[in-house]
Amino acid sequence: MKPVYIAGAGMTQFGRSEWTLMQLASVASLAALHHANLGDIRVDGVVVANMGAARVNRQTALGSALVDQLALYPATAESVENGPASGASAVKIGVQAIASGMADVVLVTGVERMRVVNGLEGTDFVASLSHPEAEYIYGVTLPALAGMFARLFMDKFGVERKHLAMVAIKNHENAAKNPYAHIQQTVTMEGILTLPEAAVNNPPIAEPLHMFDCCPVSDGAASLVLVSEDVAAKLGGPKVRVAGIGQATDTHAVHEREDPTDLKSVRIAAKTAFDRAGLKPQDVDVVELHDAFTILEIAESEASGFFPRGEGHKALERGETRLDGALPINPSGGLKAKGHPVGATGVAQLVELVWQLRGECDARQVKDAKVAYACNFGGFGNNVVASVLQREA
Amino acid sequence: MSGKVYGMKCNSCGTVSYPKHAVCPDCRNERFEEVAIGGEGKVLTYTDVYALAIEYETRYLRLAIVELDDGIRVTGQLLDDEPKLGMRVKTILGTVRQSGETAIQGLQFVSV
Repeated sequence: MKPVYIAGAGMTQFGRSEWTLMQLASVASLAALHHANLGDIRVDGVVVANMGAARVNRQTALGSALVDQLALYPATAESVENGPASGASAVKIGVQAIASGMADVVLVTGVERMRVVNGLEGTDFVASLSHPEAEYIYGVTLPALAGMFARLFMDKFGVERKHLAMVAIKNHENAAKNPYAHIQQTVTMEGILTLPEAAVNNPPIAEPLHMFDCCPVSDGAASLVLVSEDVAAKLGGPKVRVAGIGQATDTHAVHEREDPTDLKSVRIAAKTAFDRAGLKPQDVDVVELHDAFTILEIAESEASGFFPRGEGHKALERGETRLDGALPINPSGGLKAKGHPVGATGVAQLVELVWQLRGECDARQVKDAKVAYACNFGGFGNNVVASVLQREA
Repeated sequence: MSGKVYGMKCNSCGTVSYPKHAVCPDCRNERFEEVAIGGEGKVLTYTDVYALAIEYETRYLRLAIVELDDGIRVTGQLLDDEPKLGMRVKTILGTVRQSGETAIQGLQFVSV
């Protein structure tokens, strides 16, 4: 496999947007292309990640549409729908194209415009990834799966609601330093948990998870420019290499897993990514996890190999995962506060990590970050993509 | 389907799976017989979910994963006012979703 570098990264502000799907995708793509500063080097291929456009925006074949927007013909074009893991899946496909020698420059853009439909429709389109006969027909939604997971996980490992609140408080604090974040507002333990008003401010969504345990519904797009070693050398500038990508699947119905609290797909994807990178979790300086629900940040921090099983909430409590801690998790604000435009998320996690590795994150910059890790969690763990990035010289 | 919920029993190794797969997850055999799923068991986990999908007019749904005494696990609707982890329940068949004119039948759990 040939080495693959990320030469540029860009995104739109996440939140509610009046822009069309293709406007969002174009703005993020142009930001990444300008960041890469390709000059007269042409883009060989475009991969677009998205989950819901066929249903909520009535648009398909997004890869071809984005080539047209950016006038990149006759570049190759693909669209990737892989649930909430669409973003990192699309990056993996772009990496494969360059690693195999079939392309030198690939633009990968994740985009979602889901606030155009009402909450029920939005929740339902994401719920359609659950098992149609064994889960969906019962009213299972992603918050429901997360609620059932949280209750079991919390009971087993002694995790309390205050730990979930600590994830939210930390990620909101980080997002307040991120101009691209959907919610740039800090929250307090009193406001979301301990004061009587908290019962009103923070209503239940899927017990034991409450509103501030769940990510917002966002529109947005994020984009990366992947290049071969030759192109990276021509461009000069900071070199961020895709050191390793791992992916793993698990049963469609969550109840079929031997231990439903064990995120086996995360464990396998992370181990594969680290093995391919020739690195270990202990080498990592900065992390982006898929905290669509606060409990997932804790569980993924363990399954990715950063903390022993059942210890993630203790590391969180000790402040180790804060921006100034030993292993900052979700400096961007995470899905929790940066937002979660589903198909864009896996790309946006890597955008943040590229910026971190290049030292371009201003107030939320993790000092001297050289190795970065992201977990893009699809389905409810039935399809996970883990990525390791490394800064070279 | 008569409203019952079916899993599959592998003709080769006898493993019962729910939901069905095209291939036995244990031995990769491709031949099965259908078996009705249900009976008594205990609540493995549950939630009250307020973030609902379309086609529900209620304020929230109480959903659970139940481990049946034969080892099979099922997801369904818990019809009990005092849910607890580990509580004993049995399955009944009821309308779990109304999709247009169609009343979809599925598993519900009541305490025993």
